[in-house]
Amino acid sequence: MIAHRNLGFVAAAATLLAAAPLSAIFERWTWLIQATIAVAVVAAVAALARLARSPLWAQVLAMLAGLTLALTWLFPGGTELVAFIPTPATFGHFADLLSGSMDDMRSYGVKVPDTDPLLFLTVLGIGGVAVVVDVLAVGLRRPALAGLPMLAIYSVPVAVYVDSVPPVPFVVGAAGYLWLLVTDNVDRVRRFGRRFTGDGRDVDVWESSPLAAAGRRLAVLGVALAVVLPLAVPGMTGGLLDTFGTGAGDGTGTGRPGVGTNPGRINLFAALSGQLNQSEVADLVKVTTNEQQPFYLRFGVADQLRQDGFRVSDPTGKPANRDLPDPTRDLRPGVGQNRYRATVEVTENLDMPLLPVYAKPARTEDLNDRWLYDDDRQMVFSSRESARGKKYSFEYVRLTYTPSVLRQAQELGSSHPARVRYTMTPDVPEVDALVKTLVRDADTQYDKVRAIYDYFSADNGFTYRLSTETGTSGQDILDFLTNKAGYCQQYAAAMAWLVRAAGIPARVAFGFTNGSNRSGDTYTLTNRNLHAWTEVYFDQMGWVPFDATPTYGVPGSTRSAWAPDTDAPEESTPEPGSTSAPGETEASAGPEGPDSPEEDPDSGLALGGTTPTEQPPVWPWWAGGALALFALLALPALRRLALRRRRSAAAAPAPATVRAAGGGAPADGPRMVVLGADADRARADAHAAWDELLDTLVDYRVRVDRTETPRATADRLVREALSADAGAVTAVRLLGRAEERARYARDPLTGERLLPALRSVRGALAAQAGRRTRLLAAVLPPSVLLRWRLAAADASSRLVAATGRVRYRLLRWSPRRLLASRLAR
Amino acid sequence: MTQQTWDEVGGLLPHDEFRAASEAIVSNIEQVIEGKTATVRLALAVLLAEGHLLIEDVPGVGKTKLAKAMARSIDCSVRRIQFTPDLLPSDVTGVSVYNQETHDFEFRPGAVFANLVVGDEINRASPKTQSALLECMEERQVTVDGVTYQLQTPFMVIATQNPIEMEGTYPLPEAQRDRFTARIAMGYPDPGAELAMLDGHGATDPLTDLRPVSDANTVRRLIGHVRQVHVADAVKQYAIDLVTATREAPDLRLGASPRATLQLLRTARAVAALEGRDYVLPDDLQVLAVPVLAHRIIPTADAQLARRTTDAIVAELVHRLPLPHDRKRSPYDTRPGQGHGRPPYEPRRP
Repeated sequence: MIAHRNLGFVAAAATLLAAAPLSAIFERWTWLIQATIAVAVVAAVAALARLARSPLWAQVLAMLAGLTLALTWLFPGGTELVAFIPTPATFGHFADLLSGSMDDMRSYGVKVPDTDPLLFLTVLGIGGVAVVVDVLAVGLRRPALAGLPMLAIYSVPVAVYVDSVPPVPFVVGAAGYLWLLVTDNVDRVRRFGRRFTGDGRDVDVWESSPLAAAGRRLAVLGVALAVVLPLAVPGMTGGLLDTFGTGAGDGTGTGRPGVGTNPGRINLFAALSGQLNQSEVADLVKVTTNEQQPFYLRFGVADQLRQDGFRVSDPTGKPANRDLPDPTRDLRPGVGQNRYRATVEVTENLDMPLLPVYAKPARTEDLNDRWLYDDDRQMVFSSRESARGKKYSFEYVRLTYTPSVLRQAQELGSSHPARVRYTMTPDVPEVDALVKTLVRDADTQYDKVRAIYDYFSADNGFTYRLSTETGTSGQDILDFLTNKAGYCQQYAAAMAWLVRAAGIPARVAFGFTNGSNRSGDTYTLTNRNLHAWTEVYFDQMGWVPFDATPTYGVPGSTRSAWAPDTDAPEESTPEPGSTSAPGETEASAGPEGPDSPEEDPDSGLALGGTTPTEQPPVWPWWAGGALALFALLALPALRRLALRRRRSAAAAPAPATVRAAGGGAPADGPRMVVLGADADRARADAHAAWDELLDTLVDYRVRVDRTETPRATADRLVREALSADAGAVTAVRLLGRAEERARYARDPLTGERLLPALRSVRGALAAQAGRRTRLLAAVLPPSVLLRWRLAAADASSRLVAATGRVRYRLLRWSPRRLLASRLAR
Repeated sequence: MTQQTWDEVGGLLPHDEFRAASEAIVSNIEQVIEGKTATVRLALAVLLAEGHLLIEDVPGVGKTKLAKAMARSIDCSVRRIQFTPDLLPSDVTGVSVYNQETHDFEFRPGAVFANLVVGDEINRASPKTQSALLECMEERQVTVDGVTYQLQTPFMVIATQNPIEMEGTYPLPEAQRDRFTARIAMGYPDPGAELAMLDGHGATDPLTDLRPVSDANTVRRLIGHVRQVHVADAVKQYAIDLVTATREAPDLRLGASPRATLQLLRTARAVAALEGRDYVLPDDLQVLAVPVLAHRIIPTADAQLARRTTDAIVAELVHRLPLPHDRKRSPYDTRPGQGHGRPPYEPRRP
């Protein structure tokens, strides 16, 4: 019974742990408190029901009732009895909350704020999962199945984020599940009887079961692998290798259905860098327009600036198939206005809830009312539809400016809504100082913007590079301003940041350049044409685009009269291209829960860059890698060579200081009395020669028997391997005799030439060995490999022994000992 | 009887002298026992190692001939005991008899008071009688009626026996077997040797023509030489390993004794000296392991059922035992168990 109660509470805790991934979609932690209350109620009710020995169906009913009570108390509708007894009206309230949650889901992107409907849905879901987990784990004793409902919770953030669900909550959830499994199995084993170790010893009560420990180790390893492996493999996620980091989502080209997602969730930065870095080129959009030289096609905007860069905020809007706001209202005279018409065909490759349009659309065709238009952001978006395969037409008004007109724009008052919203910058003193120097001599807002725009020029050392370096400042903006190398994202975001720092509203726009594939009026745009640029707000003129990215890096890049190519020797012809003034009064009232794109994508593979220039050559890497590989492969052979050289030096005949002693002598020849040092030398020589012989044997796959004496080894070699070569026979016998005397006799053998003997034996062995054996002996000498393997085995066994000792010492302090009295039932 | 002390005998002989003396004995014996050089040399080695020899084989292969030829080749006192089932211990050791003339007990030395004692068919005497040999063989002394009599040097018992399976034999007690340094088998002669034997021995007994080629003094000097043969530490370790292996072998109920270790090394010295070396090799130990160790050990019932002879068991041990090394460890001479010993700690029992 106690075990059952334990298991029930573990199941509840595991459910809560499994809910941890939800932290990724809520802005605050209110949901956790409420979910904890609900789960606690469910668990308590279940425990009570089991205490009363009620059958399973009664337990389920009791838990559901408990959950209902908890929900009633947490989300009161005002009609309850004693605050938590539900009435029929309460259920009506619940139904309202549920339908409200559907609306909220549509209207909010992650991270969502605490709204009652969403919280209700969350608590209801977690409570339901708690009930199911309890039934499965405790009632049916199938805790493994309980993983499915837990996984259901996890699937929520997975569905919301595509690219990179934060790994930590997953680990927490997995830990909860493992805890449940372990508890169940320990309980099972404990009920089975006494616990034994593998060697038949009783397991101490305070000691963890070795089996369980092994299971835990395996489990931890498995979870760690499951988390780390995908993170470490580039391309599987946008995770660690992509500093867009946690919480980033993406809508483009990842093959994920964009239907039903919130446009605010799309991490345009991540999408952009991902697409630019892709080695494959895929057609995304085909656009036909009657404008001669259109400015960029545009689909998104990032207008929230945080410490880590610009973020996308949630668009709000009205159905795009109705009357759109007039693009030309509130315009200062002098701004050019031309009305054009364009047709866009989106391929199957582009899958996101945003539609690319030219700024600024006045009327759309072929779109249903699920597509909404945000006039402020000039985005067409949907939370239910995807752009994939869509074909639509729209009319738009192209606004063109001249520098003189722009110079007339007044600086916005500090209380102007646009200025309040779009000039917030994180406090980076270096940036502020830079901006102050840049705009020192500028009088008008346009001149200030131009000063900043001109700053991003080749003269100042800025270059285009698809791979960016990480700097040391810890801030991507400073890294970029220091390294002065990057691509459109960096340029667009940095310029917007600097302009904001100068007190002028700015944001980053996303879209397509005109590409390099034009036939007639039709432009075919690929993922390589994805682009980002800066938009600056001018009073009574709206958002004016500035593209600070070096033109050579961007195929299809266009420049305008007010923002000429800073790197060009002379001003390029003015190009029409404009944005219109959005009504700042229509500013979005929607919740601001954008993703967290950063300003700086990580260096991906530079291979897929939009530009062939400025790419460091790749072959040195290949060559270096090949060299390193060679060096690695050559290590054993080199080691063998070094060994042989050392031994040869040892076995070289020493000038024997020998004098014949008088009297009789053993059969080996005249008995030598060798001076001490020389004897040692001779011994070392003999040993070196013998070791070399043994290694040679191993290399040539001749058996080495460690039960054999040198003499026996020599005899065997003579018998088996060297019988054909008389010289080698003498040589190997000499080596054997030398080693034997060095080992066992009073005086070693001196005055013999071991080195030639060794060579002769080696030659005879090589002549006898097969070609493959010879090759292996030269390239990957088995003797060296064997030595290394033994060394590794030794080291690992020492490590295991040391770990065992440490573990034993730690076990003395294990708190489980204190539980001994309680558990020793 | 006066004897030289070992100091007087001296240390290493000049090589030629040792060789001449030993070869003389060997070739002399070979006049009688043909085609058995290794056996003869081993017998001589046992003599030089101050040990005792047990020759075990089926009847008629020349056991007694070898013993007698060896005794004859050395000019020293030789006694022979024919062990019979009714032989008494006092026949072996000697007995005090009452001398009517002196009105006193007088010790009459038994058969063991000689340099060479040939004990024929030793396992046909009862264990009681065999036990009489225990003291004299190990301690080279005889105690009768409380009086201890020293035996001469060299002193060697050469015993012959039939295999235990033969009828009318008693098994030798373990203690007695342990006192024999080596047990050798004669084996049948090869056809050529047998033909030569027929030619040579057909008419006359070659033993009668055998003349001594050495004397007790020379043998003592040879023994002194053998005692000085160098034994490296690694070889000593190997001897210990070998003996330990017999004690730990799962097939054996009784392993070899420390006395066996001692005698193994002594015999190895003698063998090395006979081969003209002044140092012992592990090879010597390997050669000697079966003769010196096999008769001392007792296999388990399982091994006996599996018809595994002690000879085979010892030979296998020798084959399996790695050589010790006095140098740094190298991959080819690791010893089992090194580095992978017991668990580093012993968990507490509940």
